[in-house]
Amino acid sequence: MIRIARAIPEAKRNPWDRIRRGARTLRRFVRARKNIPLFLSPALVLMLFLVVYPILQTLYLSFLTPAGEFAGLSNYSEILARKDIIDVDGFPRLPPLGALVHNVIWIAIHLPLSMFSGLALAIILRDVKGSSLVKSIVFLGMVTPLIVGGVILRFIFTKGVGVVTAFFSAIGVEQLGRTWTGLPDTALFALIFGSVWLWTGFSMIVYSAGLATIPKEYYEAAKIDGAGPFKTFRRITFPLLKPLNIVVITMTVLYDLKIFDIVFVATFGGPRKASTVLAFEMWLQAFQFSRFNSAAVIATLLTLLTLVVTIPMIRYTVNR
Amino acid sequence: MESIIAVLVLIAIITSASSLWYGLTVASDVSSLTSSVADLAGSVADLTTSVAGLATSVADFKTTTAADLAQIADDLAEIADRVTKVEGALTPTLTVVGPWSGAEMDGFLPILDRFETLSGINVRYKVQRAEDLQTLLPAQFAAGTTPGDVIFMWGWWIGQEAQNGHVLEVTDLIDEADFLGGTFDQVTIDDKIYGGAYTGKVKPGFWYRKSFFEANSLTATTVNSTWAEFLALLNDIKAVPGIIDPIASGDAVGWPLSDITEHFLITFGGAQLQYDLISGAANWTSDPVRGIFEDRLVPLLQGNFSDPIEWTTAVDEWWQGDYGLYFMGSWITGMVDNATDLGIIPLPGAEALVLPADYFFIPTYSENQEAAKELFQFLISEEAQRLQVEQGGHLATNINVNLDFYPAADRMVREFIQDYAIAPDLDDTIGGEFQTTFWDQLKGLWVDPTPAVLDAVLTAIDAVAP
Amino acid sequence: MKLNKTTVLIHIIALVVASLWLLPFLGVFMASIRPFSEILDGWWVFESLEDVWRLSPNNFLEAWNHDSWPLSRGVLNSFIVAIPSTIIPLLVGALAGYGFARFSFKIRSYLFLTIVLLMALPQQSVVVPLFQTMATLGLIDNYLSLVLVHSAWGLPWIIMFMRNFFTTLPIEVEEAAKVDGASDFEIFYKIVLPMALPALASVVVLQFMWVWNDFFLAKIFIYEDSMLLATQRVPLIGRGEYQVDWSLLSAASIIVMIVPIIIFVLLQKYYVKGMIGWTVKG
Repeated sequence: MIRIARAIPEAKRNPWDRIRRGARTLRRFVRARKNIPLFLSPALVLMLFLVVYPILQTLYLSFLTPAGEFAGLSNYSEILARKDIIDVDGFPRLPPLGALVHNVIWIAIHLPLSMFSGLALAIILRDVKGSSLVKSIVFLGMVTPLIVGGVILRFIFTKGVGVVTAFFSAIGVEQLGRTWTGLPDTALFALIFGSVWLWTGFSMIVYSAGLATIPKEYYEAAKIDGAGPFKTFRRITFPLLKPLNIVVITMTVLYDLKIFDIVFVATFGGPRKASTVLAFEMWLQAFQFSRFNSAAVIATLLTLLTLVVTIPMIRYTVNR
Repeated sequence: MESIIAVLVLIAIITSASSLWYGLTVASDVSSLTSSVADLAGSVADLTTSVAGLATSVADFKTTTAADLAQIADDLAEIADRVTKVEGALTPTLTVVGPWSGAEMDGFLPILDRFETLSGINVRYKVQRAEDLQTLLPAQFAAGTTPGDVIFMWGWWIGQEAQNGHVLEVTDLIDEADFLGGTFDQVTIDDKIYGGAYTGKVKPGFWYRKSFFEANSLTATTVNSTWAEFLALLNDIKAVPGIIDPIASGDAVGWPLSDITEHFLITFGGAQLQYDLISGAANWTSDPVRGIFEDRLVPLLQGNFSDPIEWTTAVDEWWQGDYGLYFMGSWITGMVDNATDLGIIPLPGAEALVLPADYFFIPTYSENQEAAKELFQFLISEEAQRLQVEQGGHLATNINVNLDFYPAADRMVREFIQDYAIAPDLDDTIGGEFQTTFWDQLKGLWVDPTPAVLDAVLTAIDAVAP
Repeated sequence: MKLNKTTVLIHIIALVVASLWLLPFLGVFMASIRPFSEILDGWWVFESLEDVWRLSPNNFLEAWNHDSWPLSRGVLNSFIVAIPSTIIPLLVGALAGYGFARFSFKIRSYLFLTIVLLMALPQQSVVVPLFQTMATLGLIDNYLSLVLVHSAWGLPWIIMFMRNFFTTLPIEVEEAAKVDGASDFEIFYKIVLPMALPALASVVVLQFMWVWNDFFLAKIFIYEDSMLLATQRVPLIGRGEYQVDWSLLSAASIIVMIVPIIIFVLLQKYYVKGMIGWTVKG
């Protein structure tokens, strides 16, 4: 059968070897070309039919009327004019502000909070006994199905049975003692803060891994030089973790754009559309009201947003 | 060589996947066919034993008396039944698609069983919620298929699909004189009826516990009281120890709040206002409508209604005395342990009440249309509706169902609504995006009943209204 | 370990953090083992010692054997979908990943880049046409459609992940095998795959959990009550017919999330390596 032959030592400098090596390379090259379809085609076929083609179909749908006629950009202008997508009269004010604005607010709050807390946790837990247990607990939120995450969020923010509402009632802030998910003012924020609780684990893990790659010698050298913890962080830790930032930012923003499950089960987009997001609106249009063209528009907008966010990361990794 | 292997592997994956799929579909066909054959075999076996029994009786006839003749007659009747069943096993099966599962389904199946016995047609029940059907049926109809021969669905949706040609016209099967006025409005297009009405539930007003009122010396107002008297009652309830709010607000997808709102609109604007809002003749932002909100509903929201609570939890909390009144549909009679303790307080001056019925239709793609029509006629008949109301929690749309068949509490409700006209359910009749928006906006109004919010809410509702 | 102020402070902070993070889960757990009527004012409220005796697994049994949406069936269905949805993209993706790693051809980098881009896309961008296609094929309420879509959706990240892994393997072993006359497929199957077991484990863990936790795709393709997956039954139990309560809902939620949590606890190493491996390149 196949023997695992030992690699041929480079020492041999026989002209016949060179020819033999050349022939081998040619053979490999030829064989490779023959086998590419074999290795790649199942994957390419699946992705072509079930991912690429549907994306193009969605794009195409977004330019048609329900009757099938070409509508140019009118679908887009109609959707973007809707109050459930953008509603910024009197901004700054509390929600409802439209799904697109809600997604942006989500990113604006969730991203810095989870990055910061993830980094802080990674640093704090670096030398703690039992840190892996604590890290696992923090990470549980990433493992939980989001539909369950949404149930938990609704639970902790419900008057009477929830810890958050009980806390605020206990300290006397009665307005926040009401069910957060039932009030337009607080529904979105309940979900956002809840998502921080769920997803901080991701940035924590990434930064933890990054921290582990920083050689201990750097820290010892810094200590010898008399640097305090903050200076050490500023001069050594933070710069070395910078490459990870782009990964954390990209992944977190992608999460924030794609939110559906949590909104579906915790608030159903309400009340008064105060907590709706793009993915939820898309689902409503397609699968509640059967307006597939409008849904295709929202889906395309979402796709464009995710591409915009991903391209910097890809460019960055390609350039490394 | 390896390319061949790889191709074979690929083929194997595809074949096993498709055989899995095929197997699943074939398996279910085979299992239903097997159970039909088993039923048939069982009926034939029973038939054989009955015939053997009859043979023995005939042999004994020489020495038997007239009483034995009666016994023979019984055996004959039994054989006739079994023959019907055998025939039924050979006739096509009707599929009924309905939204009820669990306990509600258990209350509906006996009516289908009765139909099976009467007609000999087999009926199969399948659960599918209306929201899901809304997504699935258009795709299936476009392909010319249907999941059922008789499908329960929202009335407005049936009317809408009738205009698309997917619904069988059934005008000849119905005599509207047998039914409460306006029952078939939602499913009538251009004077042709496309849907059937089954039983319904009424939203008669605010429910209270008679024992609770007695214990706290409260006097219930009636439809003939004044608005001031109603407000005074709410004040009295507020003073009762242990009360959180006088009126409990139910939370669900939003229908409890829309039911309350419609009650206010119909009471203070008349049933005609309801019809106008449905048809689009009236505006939500117009003065009459706005006035009802501003003068009647919103003031009460500011201190007499609770924040929305999960509607089934609200029943428990209201029943145990945390709240005095609870606006709910008549199915509440089946949710409390002592239904005779229930009383109803409508808003003062109400002349009409909302009684939404369950509607059903026959898709044009059904392959058993004649049998489906038989079931259709049965479901709208006095017998089927009588059997259903006997289970409790239902009200018949067929006026021929006698009051005596209602359980005590439901009878009280049925008698109560004698003096009122029946109005259609607003959001059920318009449906679609209006319904979702209507519910969502009302939830927002309930927790924040300020003038600015009221304006925003009415504007948003008007934007999606007909 | 020095017992100075900083260390103590840090440990206290770690304890506080752990407790805070655990609190919502603790709440859900407490709600699930107590009858709903007792927790109306908070699951931390015990009115008498009797309430402690009343802690029971009743809610779990009720959720497992629920009248309309039993989780026993839901869990089974989720396994039926998740297992093929993991195996198929694993094999197909590993194949493709190897192809990208070891074979060079003109459009390789562009193709790979496209695949990486596909990873970022939202599921919303494909479901409308996919729903219509599957409806036409009669594959709605059929697990085949769901499995295929999950497989196709998992391929981009699996291909990227496996390809990155394969590039870290020393090529000499494969070259040597080629010298001995092995075909590419034999090399892949007999030499490379066994070496890739840790990476494959990560893929299995991540993909399985991803499919198990999915709600959106299931909601698009599966509607029939008996076929609903575990995640789909949670919001239904939450909306309920007659009795809906947080205790029952909590028990149902725990049943659904216990599977990925167990996998995480047992196979944490592979999960973490997988998460970092496909977001942070080597």
